Amino acid sequence: MTEWHDAAATDALSDDEVMGLSIAGVPVALFRQEGAFFALHDLCSHGAARLSDGFVENGCVECPLHQGLVDIRSGAPCSAPITEPVRSYPVRVVGDRVEIALNR
Amino acid sequence: MTAMLTAMPENDATYVVVGGGQAAAWIARTLRAEGFAGRLVLIGEEPHWPYERPALSKEFLRGTGSVEAITLLNATLAEEAGIECWLGQRVTAVDREARVVTTADGRSVAYDTLFLATGGQARRLPGLDAVPAERVHTLRTLTESERLRGALAGAKHLLVLGGGWIGLEVAATARALGVAVTVVEAAPRLCARTMPPVVSDWLHTLHEANGVHVLTGTGVAGVTGTADGVAVTLADGGRLDADHLLLGIGIEPEVGLAAAMGLALDDGIVVDAQGRTSDPRIFAAGDVARHPNAFAGAALRLESWANAQNQAIAAARAALGGTGVYADIPWFWSDQYGVNVQMLGLPGLGTRAVARGTPEAGSGCWLMLDESGIAVGAVAVNAARDLRVLRKLLEDGRAPLPDAWADTATPVQRLPSRPNVGMD
Repeated sequence: MTEWHDAAATDALSDDEVMGLSIAGVPVALFRQEGAFFALHDLCSHGAARLSDGFVENGCVECPLHQGLVDIRSGAPCSAPITEPVRSYPVRVVGDRVEIALNR
Repeated sequence: MTAMLTAMPENDATYVVVGGGQAAAWIARTLRAEGFAGRLVLIGEEPHWPYERPALSKEFLRGTGSVEAITLLNATLAEEAGIECWLGQRVTAVDREARVVTTADGRSVAYDTLFLATGGQARRLPGLDAVPAERVHTLRTLTESERLRGALAGAKHLLVLGGGWIGLEVAATARALGVAVTVVEAAPRLCARTMPPVVSDWLHTLHEANGVHVLTGTGVAGVTGTADGVAVTLADGGRLDADHLLLGIGIEPEVGLAAAMGLALDDGIVVDAQGRTSDPRIFAAGDVARHPNAFAGAALRLESWANAQNQAIAAARAALGGTGVYADIPWFWSDQYGVNVQMLGLPGLGTRAVARGTPEAGSGCWLMLDESGIAVGAVAVNAARDLRVLRKLLEDGRAPLPDAWADTATPVQRLPSRPNVGMD
């Protein structure tokens, strides 16, 4: 049974923006891309940096520490030095709220 | 972006990487990631698996890091990728006619393409022979970082010769460990080789605020051993005593092999924008390579983490027939006392600093302009995002309007910009 957690209002983010959240104690980076929402674990898989502090461009977020790129939709690594995927979390919109599931 | 590969080598080709550091690891990893299916040999002089060096003066030195966290290639990864790693082996000769590499213990391998990622060695001072070796430190390798960590554990006072990035990072770590620190710099200010005065002044204040005794414009006349440490005689006659001495006076690029091979040198191995040396079968990358830098409009040899990684990747792709070039704007960072400093371009060439925010107070970014108004670089203090947006602008040949840069009421992504050319 998927447990959904309330995360943010749908109008809290514009396209290509990101915000850092703490969902049940788990750091989550919430992104908006072309009107859709995506959530990644808010920690780079390479270094100890928050992806929500990163730079969003062309569907990727760039880690602020080492400039490695992560695909926002999948968490897949897109450039060095990142070689491991970042965990991505399911997201749904209910009314004007964005919800995130931490389990799968 | 992956460059188009036009001439993938045959499966029976052998590629050899001389070097066991960050650049060497990225060359090997990239060759495999891009599909190279021949034999791949990496020959490293250090006994360790290839690792990243930034933490050696910070977390690792402090004791909060780990070897695993900085390792780029290990037995499992090498096995999976089919990378033969000859570690703890020094290459003594390369015969360019026969295309054979020979190591000190007599192993040899014939190559089709060779990479030199030999890095550099920490510079030493002459005349230290009489000083007990266990009191004198340099910091380039993991072994040296472990050795210095051990020394700091029992030390009351560390003397740092050289007020550059390594010296300052070690000073900050030593302070965190409760060790008293004196930094002696011969130049009139800290980090004078790469930074404008406004940044040097800020670093000076930052270190003094954290209890470091900073002496700039101070030469060293001699170093002697004492019963329980070292004593440094200053050019002005003063004397400083300490338990240990760290030499943070730069590195010398390791070009001995390249010189013996007859490759073109100029304070490092001269390479083109794809990392190719004067021998088209041989590439070089990382701290040892001097490349034509498009942003600088000059040849540069960069000693940075980003350069070691990205120049190596570009060289590996070029060796597989890729057409891409290494065209990054110089970028590096430092962490001291919990403050993240990031540098872009060549800020030391700037004559006018325009501050966004208050970098001197711990949050902001100096944009550096030269005399003709061209943005030559920037230094960010806990403002990585400002610097990242600026990098995008500079990559596009643009620069923010200086007045707008100083206006923090406008988000950095929306600053008005202009072509980054002179405003004569």
